[in-house]
Amino acid sequence: MIRLILHRLFYGLVTLFVVSLVVFLATQALPGDAAQAMLGREATPERLAALRDQLRLNDPLAVQYGSWIAGIFTFDLGMSYAANMPVADHLAPRVTASLSLMAIAALVATPISLLLGAYSALRRDRALDHGTSMATLILAAIPEFAVGILLILAFSTGWLQLFPAVYAGSASDVMRDPRQLVLPVATLVLAVSPPIIRMMRASMIEVLESEYVQQARLKGLPERTVILRHAGPNAIGPVAQVIALQLGWLAGGVVAIEFLFRFPGIGLALMDAIDTRDIPVIQAVTLLIAVVYIVVNLLADVVGLAANPKVRVSSR
Amino acid sequence: MPSLPLPDHRPHSTPAPSRRTVLMAGAAGAAVLPALSACGGGDSGGTEGGRLRVGVAGGSAKDTLDAHKATDNTDIARVYNLYDGLCGFNPDYSIEMVLAESVEPNDDATMWTVKLKEGLKFHDGSDVTADAVIFTLNRITDPDDPGSTAEQFATLDRDNMEKVDELTVELPFTDPYVNLLEVFAEYGVGIVPEGYDPQNPVGAGPFKFSEFTPGERSLFVKHEQYWRDGEPHIDELEILNFPDETARVNALVGGQVDVISQLPHSQIKVVEADDNLDILDSETGMWLPFTMRVDQEPFDDVRVRQAFRLIVDREEMVEQALSGYGSVGNDMYSRFDPGYNDDLPQREQDIEEAKKLLAEAGYSDGLEVELVTGEISPGAVGAAQVFKEQAKKAGVTVDLKQVTSTEFFGDNYLQWTFAQDYWSSRNYLAQAAQGSMPDAAYNETHWDDEEWIELIQKARGTVDDDERAEILKEAMEIEYERGGYIVWGFVNTVDGFHKKVKGLEPSVTGHPLTSYGFRRVRIDD
Repeated sequence: MIRLILHRLFYGLVTLFVVSLVVFLATQALPGDAAQAMLGREATPERLAALRDQLRLNDPLAVQYGSWIAGIFTFDLGMSYAANMPVADHLAPRVTASLSLMAIAALVATPISLLLGAYSALRRDRALDHGTSMATLILAAIPEFAVGILLILAFSTGWLQLFPAVYAGSASDVMRDPRQLVLPVATLVLAVSPPIIRMMRASMIEVLESEYVQQARLKGLPERTVILRHAGPNAIGPVAQVIALQLGWLAGGVVAIEFLFRFPGIGLALMDAIDTRDIPVIQAVTLLIAVVYIVVNLLADVVGLAANPKVRVSSR
Repeated sequence: MPSLPLPDHRPHSTPAPSRRTVLMAGAAGAAVLPALSACGGGDSGGTEGGRLRVGVAGGSAKDTLDAHKATDNTDIARVYNLYDGLCGFNPDYSIEMVLAESVEPNDDATMWTVKLKEGLKFHDGSDVTADAVIFTLNRITDPDDPGSTAEQFATLDRDNMEKVDELTVELPFTDPYVNLLEVFAEYGVGIVPEGYDPQNPVGAGPFKFSEFTPGERSLFVKHEQYWRDGEPHIDELEILNFPDETARVNALVGGQVDVISQLPHSQIKVVEADDNLDILDSETGMWLPFTMRVDQEPFDDVRVRQAFRLIVDREEMVEQALSGYGSVGNDMYSRFDPGYNDDLPQREQDIEEAKKLLAEAGYSDGLEVELVTGEISPGAVGAAQVFKEQAKKAGVTVDLKQVTSTEFFGDNYLQWTFAQDYWSSRNYLAQAAQGSMPDAAYNETHWDDEEWIELIQKARGTVDDDERAEILKEAMEIEYERGGYIVWGFVNTVDGFHKKVKGLEPSVTGHPLTSYGFRRVRIDD
């Protein structure tokens, strides 16, 4: 199993390399460069030339990419063109802000989804089950920013005025007014939950129909014990992988949500960096998102393997 | 805290003005109102103190507090509040002396004498002196790191600026420079003390620096020694960046900010429908022209240019592209210049005449042109679409090429044959220097008309205001007759604010929220 994990890790690194190369080339394909984007209409030829020199945009592409990747190995992400400071310093408060948002969303979404999925399974084919099923299907089909807009209309600017519509604080202090986090967190929760709920329901139904649950019931155990001790834990195993994947999605999904709510995290930093053609920042953020994806996938695999004795043994 | 009326010990022979006379004075002219509120100072009605929260469009990691390098809206908003210049624009675009007591030219405007007001203080408590003025102008015109207005000081003889006394400076220019006051009034010429460091920005503006995170927000506090009596009224000014317009409007509607700049036209109704909110609708000198390159086919033929100008139904364009928040133009810019030519007839749509001109130019079978457009300013793409429809009637096929604004202002900017652009309020000589003279940085129509250039050069050396206005009228007539711009309209600036915020007034400068003039603002609870 260790070998399998090492194997996966190696491919993860290769994936990261490819991602960085693709993103680098893609940013080169965008019209205009950082110097032009920064100067905008003030871009007289002299000022452009001076800034390009300063940012070393005149070096050949291979050299630019090479010096960047060399920096990565020494944990130096380079300098942000736009912010004129090290990328790591520029991004640190934003990464923390985004992680806080994602962590809260994960902590809210996971237990609620598991409970709702399990409950739907127990109430199979009743009104609640059908309602949940329909709602999750609809939510899964709507893009997350549309969900966010609807939430803002319903709970902030339109129907009920309960929560702030945008985040008006700074990245270094996200907890100052937690009410501002309610709508972005709710949007993320609604976006990640449906697959978890559906998977939990399916898994629970399968387990409830299994022989050992029947056996437990026949033994005369109280239904409470059957569900909490026997069915529940066994149903969660297969769901863990889905949870991990959904949490991985959060890293990317947070981009659109942050823009909508003006939340100063990595998503807004990425949009900003694309606007200003700030390639070091674009690279850093996309790599970060890719790393989260790869790590989460790896964890999901490990959990899946650990939960399945057959695989665990055969791949030794 | 509304202050109590002073006890009146005088005999009743001089009654206080009745409500009715006050109302009549107000009705006599809107101009009276701002004057009344401005002289109120700290001891009349209204609340002092509090924090004003402002949502401003745009902003990114490259935001700066540098007094002389503002580019983005949020930069401009901050610069207006941290720094004061020698002069400033009033809301009607007339010039006001700010830090300067007077700025006077010699007979041919080659030597200007700046006299500062007495007792002015920077945020750090030091005096505003002649040395600061010289330091500031040197910093702006530093050839290694020029400020955004450096080009406008190209003829300043920077090595020979002379300090006459603590408050007086003499500024020599290599050529006559009659519109120096306008340059001094721009936001990019804020006076800073010697040794100024943008990391710890010190100015003489109404607010001083407290906190700043680029791309996010800033917090400024009241400058207690500000030179205008009683201003600013508020204690704290928080400016928040909003890259997304929907988020900006939501923040206003949801009460997280008190005022926002640049309300998108589609959202004006949303704000008006809210009893607590109001809009600030300002006519401005901002124009959104179509640009025709006069040195390229088919626009090298003046008949084609005039035909295109006759194709435009200006009323309809203002109505559709600007949702009615604008006014029609007459193919001349600088509508607030004292020399603006009002004598020329308003150009109207005339399809027959346009067809005739096109036929004379050899396009009787129709003409196909490409129009480059993009989201460079609200209304630009809409105007292009309206033009495409209007042109059909004259047998002109317009192919729209929509590009991103980065591409628009990219390598091909100033090279497009037929495109658009946006310009803010500017007086005529300043605008000509920026966009129409052959050596202008942004001569997008490649306009190079000898007769016109001669007039501009003559005007540049004419110190007498009335005489200069007459020359400018002639120059404008030439552009009206054969220029490369279609100036179909001027764009209003529409901002949104909570009704508890008092003191904002419409301003024609084109900068939102009374040129971000938050020193005027009070917050009533």
